[in-house]
Formats: sequence, C-alpha cells, structure tokens
Amino acid sequence: MQKTSPTHLRPRALQGMHAMLPLLPGIIPFGLIAGFTPISFGYTWLDSWMGSLLMFAGASQLAAYQLMNEGASIWVILLTVAAINLRYVLYSASIAPHLADANRTTRLLAGYGLTDQIYAVCHRDYLTHDWNLEERVAYYTGGTVLLWGLWQACTIVGAFVGQIIPVFWSLEFMIPLTFLALALNTLKTRSHQVAAMTGATVSFIGLDLPYNLGLIFGGLVGIIVGVLHKRLSE
Amino acid sequence: MSEEFIVTVALAGLVTLGLKSAFIEGQHYFTLPKWFVEALEFVPSAVLCALIVPSIFKGDVGLIATFGPVGIDPKPIAALIAAITFFTTKKTIPTLTAGMASLYLVYWVQL
Repeated sequence: MQKTSPTHLRPRALQGMHAMLPLLPGIIPFGLIAGFTPISFGYTWLDSWMGSLLMFAGASQLAAYQLMNEGASIWVILLTVAAINLRYVLYSASIAPHLADANRTTRLLAGYGLTDQIYAVCHRDYLTHDWNLEERVAYYTGGTVLLWGLWQACTIVGAFVGQIIPVFWSLEFMIPLTFLALALNTLKTRSHQVAAMTGATVSFIGLDLPYNLGLIFGGLVGIIVGVLHKRLSE
Repeated sequence: MSEEFIVTVALAGLVTLGLKSAFIEGQHYFTLPKWFVEALEFVPSAVLCALIVPSIFKGDVGLIATFGPVGIDPKPIAALIAAITFFTTKKTIPTLTAGMASLYLVYWVQL
C-alpha cells in the first residue's frame, strides 16, 4: 500500500474534527448527567469516570449505574447494556467496509470510539469522497478524539459538580427523564409507539418480579410486538 | 471502588466493545439477518420505555429520602409533565428542566 505522508493526513483529521463540531453541544448536558448521576447514587468521581472510560456509550452508562444502584444482578446489567448498545452492530456493519483493511490496533480503537455521532458523519462523508484508507482513518480519528475528549471532560466535571450538590436535589431522577426524552424521540411510526407502550406496560406489570425480570420481559415483548405490528400493518 | 463494581463496569465495557467492533473486526462480511435488522428498529423504543418504568414507579428519590414521604408520589406526575414538554418542544433540556421542576413542585405543595 502506498504510504501517505502525515502532512497529507492532517487536513483529513481536521476535516473530521470540523464535521464533529455541530454535534458537540448536544453531548455536553448528556455527558454532565452521565458524570453526576452515579455520584447521587453514592459512587466516587473515579467510579463515575470508569463508565465513560471503559464503556464510552452514554445511555448504557446511565442504565448500568442505575441498575447497579438497584442491586440488579450482573446478568441483568449486561443484558440491558447489550440491548441499549445493539444499534452499534448496525453502525459497525455499515462502516466496516471502509475500515476493514486497517491494522488490528486501529480497528480495535475504531470500535471503541464508535458513536452515533462519528457514524453519522462518516456514513455521510465516506461515500461522497474518494479517500484512501489512511485518509478515512485520519478523518475518523479526528472526529472521535474530539468527541472522546469532550465526553471524558464532561463526565469528570459532572462528577465533581455532583459532589457538591446535595442529595435532596434528586439529580438521579434525570436518568429516567433523559431516557424518556430519548425514547419519545424514537416514536416515529405507529409500530414504534406500540412497541414503546407494550414495553412500558409489561415492565409495569412486572414491577415486583425478582431480578428486574419485568424490565427484561418488557423490552423483549415490546420489540416482538413492534415487529408484529409492523408486519401486520404492511 | 469495590471489586464487584469494577468487574461489572469492565464487563459492560467489553460487551459494548464487542458490539461496536462486531463487524469492523470481522474481515469477512456477512449480511445481518433480516429479522435482526427488523427487530433492531424497535429496540430503543421498547427497551428505554421498559427501563424508565421502575425508576418512575418504584423507589424514593433523594428528596423523599431526605425530607420524608408525601401522599402522592411526585415521580409519575413529573415524568408525565416532562413527556408533555418533550412533545411540545422536541428538545431535551426543556424536558429535563420541566421534569425536575415538577418533581420539586409536586413534592413541595404536599408538605
């Protein structure tokens, strides 16, 4: 493979950062929430940061801390994290042809750094530009490093802010409220609404089941009912 | 940081990395089964809604843990007002603000 000089790659990295800029304001409040809600459950700032560092996936971080606080079993936590992050499989499949020839370390880092935001910009720009592999990696790296840095910073700042805010402010309630906004934003069709209503109803009926089974059943039944509704209405 | 905590977060990180890397790592492309893609579309709606329910209808928020219980749990009402706010504004920050404000308000009026 022809080596590309680093000077040639710098504009691509900058282009990646530039493409990421408009998406950054949206993650700041979410990053702060991800940082301070674990604190309201009694975790330290380091505990709170661990989630951002090891998982680097906002919604599943919030869910993991909430479930840990409720004393859920590790299987329930991992299953929920997997369910929330399942969308990455789709992103991964879509972005893979553009990055698959990179070396193992690069691929692993790209996997770790995969987010809704970088997927969105890469999906848009890879197809419309005739870039070689190094240029694509540089673009991906530029955007991801910027987003990663901001996310880590927001989590840490959020965690320290959380330490000064008294418990009675009930900041942990921002987790369900954040999920509520995320969930309502997905209700694009009647089938999605049916899936959401079913998920919530089953989860409500199963509130007192052990091992958070109500929430697991709610998710599963909601998905199945959503698929069936879509198939029947087509 | 307890051992159980770090193991849980590390495993959650591994699961996340596994899903994110699923295809970037796999050199051989295979198409996702149709049922999987179809189901994936409904995962956020169903899972997030199922996840919200226990934190709205169970447990006590810091407010109640600190100042004691009131007649009507303010959480479901606050969530409803947040939902209405989201439907009218389509924005996350007003939704969070309205939800938190109603939580405090509904608690305070019952004191």
